Amino acid sequence: MTPENPRSKNGFVVLSDVSKKYGNFQALYDVSFTISEGEIFGYVGPNGAGKTTTMKILTGLISDFQGEVSIGGYQISKQKNEVHKLLGYLPQNVAFQEWRTIDHALKTFGKLSGLNDAEIENRIPHLLDLLSLSDVRHKKISQLSGGMTQKVGLAQALLHDPKLLVLDEPLGGLDPLSRHQFKDILLELGKKGTTILFSSHILSDVQDIANRVGILSKGRIKQVGSLNELKSRLSPHDIIEVELADVFDKWQELESIENVRNVELPKPNKILITLDEGATSDLVTNDILQYLLKTGGRIRSIKPMSLSLDEVYLSYVEETKS
Amino acid sequence: MQLPLLFIDELQGFYKSKVMIFLWIGLPIITLLFRFISLGATGQAIPFTVISTIVVSSLAGTLASVMLSVSIINEKNRHVYELFLIRPLKRRDILLAKFLSVYVCIAIASFISIFVGMLADYFTAGALSGAILSEATKSLATSLSMVAVSCSAGLIIGVISPSVLVGVILTLYGGNQIAVIPLVPTLLNISEPIPFTMAIAITVCVALLAAAITLFERKQF
Repeated sequence: MTPENPRSKNGFVVLSDVSKKYGNFQALYDVSFTISEGEIFGYVGPNGAGKTTTMKILTGLISDFQGEVSIGGYQISKQKNEVHKLLGYLPQNVAFQEWRTIDHALKTFGKLSGLNDAEIENRIPHLLDLLSLSDVRHKKISQLSGGMTQKVGLAQALLHDPKLLVLDEPLGGLDPLSRHQFKDILLELGKKGTTILFSSHILSDVQDIANRVGILSKGRIKQVGSLNELKSRLSPHDIIEVELADVFDKWQELESIENVRNVELPKPNKILITLDEGATSDLVTNDILQYLLKTGGRIRSIKPMSLSLDEVYLSYVEETKS
Repeated sequence: MQLPLLFIDELQGFYKSKVMIFLWIGLPIITLLFRFISLGATGQAIPFTVISTIVVSSLAGTLASVMLSVSIINEKNRHVYELFLIRPLKRRDILLAKFLSVYVCIAIASFISIFVGMLADYFTAGALSGAILSEATKSLATSLSMVAVSCSAGLIIGVISPSVLVGVILTLYGGNQIAVIPLVPTLLNISEPIPFTMAIAITVCVALLAAAITLFERKQF
């Protein structure tokens, strides 16, 4: 693999050899990765892997760490205020003072983020509308449900239209409809060029949103890359699965097809065809189909076997455990 | 400089969470109750003004330090500060805003309490004597000096305490003892002790504030 060398790339977010210790417990070991401008980066890992610690280092909430972190060219350890102007952050368990209404909280955070009154008056209704919170604008946040509070959390993170969004488990505790809404918003922001780093335990959500994924396990970055890159690192050869209506005797002859590396018969009517490295199923499926039809094979189904993010994730995390 | 914004915000918080009402109405009510209790117990009609200064000096400091330490510990443990600290503002402004807002609230409550005492005396006994007024003024100055020290002690206890319970214990054990430091000139029978009391209070208060801010700046959230 694997962990990137951040010095080799110019990213909007650059973490270079970041380590963090809590007493005797080493939470992060030389974590390095970069995120390009406009990229949506999914950060996944088991509980206690160090995701939140990484995010707190990135946001400047933890300043006692080893290594270097820069955002938009600014060093977080030396130019925190500059970084904070670029940053929107949604913590894992977002909390507000109990007496605050949504309106009051957003106005305060807007002012603290440097917005003027006109900008605040313009942004708040837009965000409340976007997150379906307009009806509860003057309600106390302490009276809202967890999901609604999470929405207010996202609203405060988006208030000043930040260049970088850091979201710690943004989809946790949301109902399916709200999750869908959050994902749409993040995808839309990504299209507009906002750089997004988010962590999640819900791997299907990561698969839906992220351009690239970083897998963290026990404080170490195990893999960074697009989902396809991670899959191909695990299994560099595409596999095509063919299911037939009945037994097919000539299955071994499929090896003669160009770009086919290996053929197996796990069941009498099921054939697994492993392709050469670099060959894709799109390229070879047609040849396989033609051969099977020509030789009397009665095809029930033919499909490329693809690893899910769950399988990719588990492989890398299990690797750490072993 | 975000201090004015945070200060007004904190005051709004006290107003909306009804802390102000309890303080501004509660302290005068306790003063009146004290007076009636002492009248019933001793048979002597101690002037309301004297009672109110005693109540203010004994309660205001404790209220201030407990309010501050509990508020900070609670917000710290609920991770409320994270949304503030990721914005371009100085950490010290968060603490100073809390300090000033609590101090102002308690100071107003003290003024109201003593003013109510004076009004009560005026309506029950007629014009107030010069001696009582002078004592009330001195007592108020001493109380406000002690409140300033209590506030700064509450601030530092709030920053270092891991839980509300520990914070309250430390406040009651330590905060109240520190708040007595400005009384040293009075205890030493120095003539005209008030200027010394205020000077000591300012010195101790600034030292504790500086320590609290330093600890808060270093805190990892």
